[in-house]
Amino acid sequence: MKLFHGRWRERVSLLAAGAMDPAEEAAVRSHLDGCATCRADLARTSEALAELARDPVLTAEVPVPLAHLVRRVQARLDAPPAAPAFRWSYGATAATATLAAAVLALAAVPRLLERPAPVASPGLASTEAGTEATASDEVVARMERRLSRDQAARYLDEAQDVLVTVAGHPADCERDHRRVDVGEEARRSRELLARRALMVELGGDEVASARPLLDDVEGLLREVAALPACARADSLDAIHRQMQRRNVLMKIDLLTSELRG
Amino acid sequence: MERLARGDREALAPLMERHHTRLYRIALSYLRDADEALDAVQEIFVKAFQAAARWDPVADVGPWLSRIAVNHSIDCYRKRRRRRLSEEPMPETSADHDTRWSAGAPSPESVVSGREVGQRIQAALSILPERQRAIFVLRHYDERSLPEIADALGMSLGTVKSSLHRAVARLRERLTSVRA
Repeated sequence: MKLFHGRWRERVSLLAAGAMDPAEEAAVRSHLDGCATCRADLARTSEALAELARDPVLTAEVPVPLAHLVRRVQARLDAPPAAPAFRWSYGATAATATLAAAVLALAAVPRLLERPAPVASPGLASTEAGTEATASDEVVARMERRLSRDQAARYLDEAQDVLVTVAGHPADCERDHRRVDVGEEARRSRELLARRALMVELGGDEVASARPLLDDVEGLLREVAALPACARADSLDAIHRQMQRRNVLMKIDLLTSELRG
Repeated sequence: MERLARGDREALAPLMERHHTRLYRIALSYLRDADEALDAVQEIFVKAFQAAARWDPVADVGPWLSRIAVNHSIDCYRKRRRRRLSEEPMPETSADHDTRWSAGAPSPESVVSGREVGQRIQAALSILPERQRAIFVLRHYDERSLPEIADALGMSLGTVKSSLHRAVARLRERLTSVRA
């Protein structure tokens, strides 16, 4: 019986939450008749849900008349569209990387096909070729810089998400309120650290101005990555204090805005 | 909804009349601030209007709006959490957020009592992972059935059931430990 009792616990929760259809409810009630453990479980859950039923949100009314709210929505729809906040997705970055690779390849093709000029003949044609090559190099360099900036901004954005979650209030591990569940954050930190290594190679000097902050963020991510999935709450507090001491979140906000221009 | 999908703005008012209070309560359950929840409701209807052309006519509009409301409220909640973490010192507890209510004109005693209850519940809800919280909010504040929640959030019914059970169990433990 105990082996399958977890299934009844789930049904008891759903019964207390009023989320069962009549047939399921009848089956659970029939089980409850012969199970004191589940009856006690139901009583405790119902008590907690009764407290949740006292939440003032359940009876809150919209503080303005409907007509006013309709006017606000209409006005918002009439307003000129704001420039959408550009967020880099993996797809967008991949597309940019592909584009950059294509431009690099196009720039390289003339060089591969280039043969030694038989005679040095300075003239209009060679000057134009030189100008075109310079222009292509500039385009490539500009795209590389753009790519580096975007990668750094996206990395910082995602690192900020991880750090905010760690500094916030992650869920307790089951049955232990002194420990919190940071398994997902530790995994994401490891992924981000791997991307960071790649980004520095790619970015070179372009992300040099961002390096001190990137180093701070890397240090914090290493600490998060080293946490066990069910970590002590004090370990997270220590990481949060470091973030505050170095104003990491605010600096990330400023730097990502700057990197995205 | 069909009129809205054709871009008819006159269709907004009747849609808002039917749904604005419950969407406000969904937003308020996340944000716990009347002004922010009101802004959220405004944006939820703007998003609904803009996305109406993609609405599936066989789908029920209620869960569709609830989904927009939950997603938008989560976005607002995350932004506020980021802003507070970058601007304010570390909170002593998770229950020290501003709480303003808008339920008519209650007595001072009930305001204090309601605020305390609200803060305790807010602190309890804040420990839930996002998926569990969204499911609990749709069940508790929006009174959606489990199949409707599964439909609104694009999950299987089994996932909704097990997540709701975990959410209820966590809330129970949290609220019991606070009282103890």
